[in-house]
Amino acid sequence: QSIPKAQYGGRHAVSMLPGGGIGPECMSYVRDIFNYIGAPVDFEVVDIDPNVDNDDDVQYAITTIKRNGVGIKGNIETKSEAAYVTSRNVALRNELDMYAYVLNCKSYPGVSTRHKDIDIVIIRQNTEGEYAMLEHESVRGVIESMKVVTASNSERVARFAFEYAKRNGRKKVTTVHKANIMKISDGLFLETSRRLAKEYPDIEHNDMIIDNCCMQLVARPHQFDVMLMTNLYGSIVSNVVCGILGGAGLLSGRNYGDNYAVFEPGTRNTGTAIAGKNIANPIAMINASVDMLEHLGHRYHADLLRNAVNRTINVDRILTSDCGGTASSTDVVNAIKENANLIANKLHLG
Amino acid sequence: KTGASQYSTGVRKVTLIPGHGIGPEITVAVQKIFEAAKVPIEWDEVDVTAVRGPDGKFGIPQKAIDSVNANKIGLKGPLMTPVGKGYRSLNLALRKEFDLYANVRPCKSLDGIKTLYDNVDVVTIRENTEGEYSGIEHEIVDGVVQSIKLITEEASKRVAEFAFQFARDNKRKKVTAVHKANIMRMSDGLFLRCCRDLATKYPDIKFEERYLDTVCLNMVQDPSKFDVLVMPNLYGDIMSDMCSGLVGGLGLTPSGNIGKNGALFESVHGTAPDIAGKDMANPTALLLSSIMMLRHMQLNEHADRVQNACYEVLREGKALTGDLGGTAKCSEYTNAIISKLN
Ligand SMILES: Nc1ncnc2c1ncn2[C@@H]1O[C@H](COP(=O)(O)OP(=O)(O)OP(=O)(O)O)[C@@H](O)[C@H]1O
Ligand SMILES: Nc1ncnc2c1ncn2[C@@H]1O[C@H](COP(=O)(O)OP(=O)(O)OP(=O)(O)O)[C@@H](O)[C@H]1O
Ligand SMILES: [Mg+2]
Ligand SMILES: [Mg+2]
Repeated sequence: QSIPKAQYGGRHAVSMLPGGGIGPECMSYVRDIFNYIGAPVDFEVVDIDPNVDNDDDVQYAITTIKRNGVGIKGNIETKSEAAYVTSRNVALRNELDMYAYVLNCKSYPGVSTRHKDIDIVIIRQNTEGEYAMLEHESVRGVIESMKVVTASNSERVARFAFEYAKRNGRKKVTTVHKANIMKISDGLFLETSRRLAKEYPDIEHNDMIIDNCCMQLVARPHQFDVMLMTNLYGSIVSNVVCGILGGAGLLSGRNYGDNYAVFEPGTRNTGTAIAGKNIANPIAMINASVDMLEHLGHRYHADLLRNAVNRTINVDRILTSDCGGTASSTDVVNAIKENANLIANKLHLG
Repeated sequence: KTGASQYSTGVRKVTLIPGHGIGPEITVAVQKIFEAAKVPIEWDEVDVTAVRGPDGKFGIPQKAIDSVNANKIGLKGPLMTPVGKGYRSLNLALRKEFDLYANVRPCKSLDGIKTLYDNVDVVTIRENTEGEYSGIEHEIVDGVVQSIKLITEEASKRVAEFAFQFARDNKRKKVTAVHKANIMRMSDGLFLRCCRDLATKYPDIKFEERYLDTVCLNMVQDPSKFDVLVMPNLYGDIMSDMCSGLVGGLGLTPSGNIGKNGALFESVHGTAPDIAGKDMANPTALLLSSIMMLRHMQLNEHADRVQNACYEVLREGKALTGDLGGTAKCSEYTNAIISKLN
C-alpha cells in the first residue's frame, strides 16, 4: 500500500473520531490497550457534535485525516432529520474518496453460531450508488432519489477486489447486483466486473442477484469467497454476514482510497441503547485498531494484539452478552491485556 | 372485502393461472386437495403465455385480464419470461395491470422442516409498484449512469395502511417499518413518515422503525424479534427472500399480491425446468399461497382444514418431496395430504 502516513520519530499520528453511542468508550479501550502494549501511535482525537446543523466539525475531521493519512472511527450520528443535513459518515468517505470498503468475515470458533467456519471477504463500492444523496421533491408527495453508478468507480473497486483476491490467495469473486431490474446502472457495475475478471483468469468469477444472495447467505454461506458489490447491497450483505458470525460487536471494516485509510467497526452501528453501561462488545473496535496497526506496518504490535484477542475469545471464552457471555466490556479489555502480556513474555523468553 | 364474484350457491369463481414448467403439476395438486376438502371454489383456468399485442410487444392475453377483472381473485404458478428484447416480465405486467400494490410474504418455521432457525414467524409486506423498480434509468454522459428511485406519499400510505390492517386482521402485535432514512433522507424519510402517520390510527398495534441494515443483522441472529415488516420495494424483495431462506427456501413460502382491482396469490419459486413434467415438484408453496387466498376470501374454516392436513404431512415427514430430502412424488405427497383431510 502506498497510502502516506504521518510519522514523527518512529511514532505514527492517527486521527481518532470516537463518534456517538458506544464509540467513545470503545476508543478509550483502544487507547488503554495501546498504552499498555506500547504501540507507537499517537491519536489526534476529534469529536463531532451530532446535534449541530453545520458541517464544521466534519470538515475539521477531514482535514486531520488528510494530514495524518490514517484514521480510526466510530459511527457518527446525524441527529437532525432535516433533508439538507446529510450523513456525516458518507461525507467523510466521499471527501476522502475512499472508494473501497473491505470487511473480513471469519468465524471465531469461540463464539457459538449456527454456521461454523465461514471465511468471506466483502468488498463494497463505498462512495456512490444509492448513497449519492441526490434527492428532490418533483411535486408534493413525489420524491425522486438518484442512484449514481460510474464506470470509473465500478472499475476501481472491481480491480481492488480482484487484486485483493489475487494477493490473498482467494479463489473466487462473486459480483452481487440487481441487473435484471436495474439493467443500466447495476448492469454497468456487473459488466465492468465481468470485463476485469478476464484479466484475472486464475480467479473464478460468478454473479448473483442480491435477493437470492441473501437467501443463499443464510442457508448456504460456505459457497462464498470474495464478494463484490455496490454500496447499498454492501451494507445489507455486511450486516447479514456479521449477524451470522455473532453480531455487530466482533468484526472490523476498512475504508480505502488512493490516499487515505480509515478503520471502523464492520457494521457501522452506533449502539446508542447500550452506551455507557459497560456491556458493549469492544472487540470490533479493537479489531479495527489491529487493522490500523497492520496498515501502519507495526507488525509486532498488530500480531500481538490480534493473538491476544483471538485467545480471549477462542481459548478463554471471555465474551460480552451479545456473544452469549457474561463478561463486561472492561472484563474483555482486561483479559486482552493479560493475554497480550502472556504472549509478549513468551516471545521474549522463547 | 374479498370482492370475489359469488354465486347464489356460495361457490366463488377464482382465476387460475397454472403457469409454466412445474406450474401445471403443482396446480393440479392444489386443485385435487381443494376438491377433496370440498372448498367452494370454481376455477376459471386461463393461459397467460405471452401474445404479441397491437404495439408489437409481447404481453398477457386479454382473456386472462378479463378473467381476473371479473373474479377479482386469482391463484398463479410460476411464469417463464423469455429472455430477449420486446418481452416484458409477465409477473411485472400482471402487477401493473391489476395495480397489485402490496406483496405479502409470511415466513413461518414448519414442524418437520429442519433448518438452522426455529420459531420464525414473520410477515414481510413489500411496496410493489414503485421505488427502485421505477425503471427510470439513463446514461447522462459516457460512463455515468443514473437510476431513479421513486417514492410517493400515495403509494407509501396505502402500503402502510395495508400493513397495519393486515396486522390487526391477523392478530399480529407489531409492525416494523424498515428504511434507510439516515441516507435517503427525503425518499425513505417520506415512506417512514407515512408509516408513522398510519401508526397513530392503529394504537392497538405496536410500531417501531428500524434501519434496513440493522434489521438484516438482527433477523439472522434472532428472527423472533420481528412480527410484521413493511418496506419499500427493493428492501422488501431482499428481506422476503432472506426470510424464506431462514425457513427452508422458496419451495415452502407462500405469497400474495394485494391490489385495488384484485388479489393474486402465487408461489414465488421459478419454473424449475430441470424437474418439470417428472412429478417431482414440491407443491407446498402454491398450496400455502392458496390457503392465504382462502383466508383473504374469509373461507377460514376451509383454510384451517387444508393447512392442518398439510402441516401434519410435513411434520410426519413420511411423504416429503426430493427438495426436502424425501423420496415422494408430487402426487404421493398430494395424496398424503388428501388422506389427512378425512
Ligand atoms: N459493540 C457492540 N456490542 C454489542 N452489541 C452491539 C455493538 N454494536 C452494536 N450492537 C448491537 O447491534 C444492534 C444494532 O446496533 P444499533 O442499535 O447501534 O443500530 P442502529 O440501527 O445503527 O441504531 P442507532 O444508530 O440508533 O444506534 C443493537 O442491538 C446493538 O445493541
Ligand atoms: N416447487 C419446487 N419443488 C422442488 N424443487 C424446486 C421447486 N421450485 C424450485 N425448485 C428447485 O430450485 C432450483 C431453482 O429453480 P427455479 O425454477 O426457482 O429458478 P430458475 O431456474 O431461475 O427458474 P426461472 O427462470 O423460471 O425463475 C431448481 O433446481 C429447482 O429444481
Ligand atoms: Mg427472488
Ligand atoms: Mg425477489
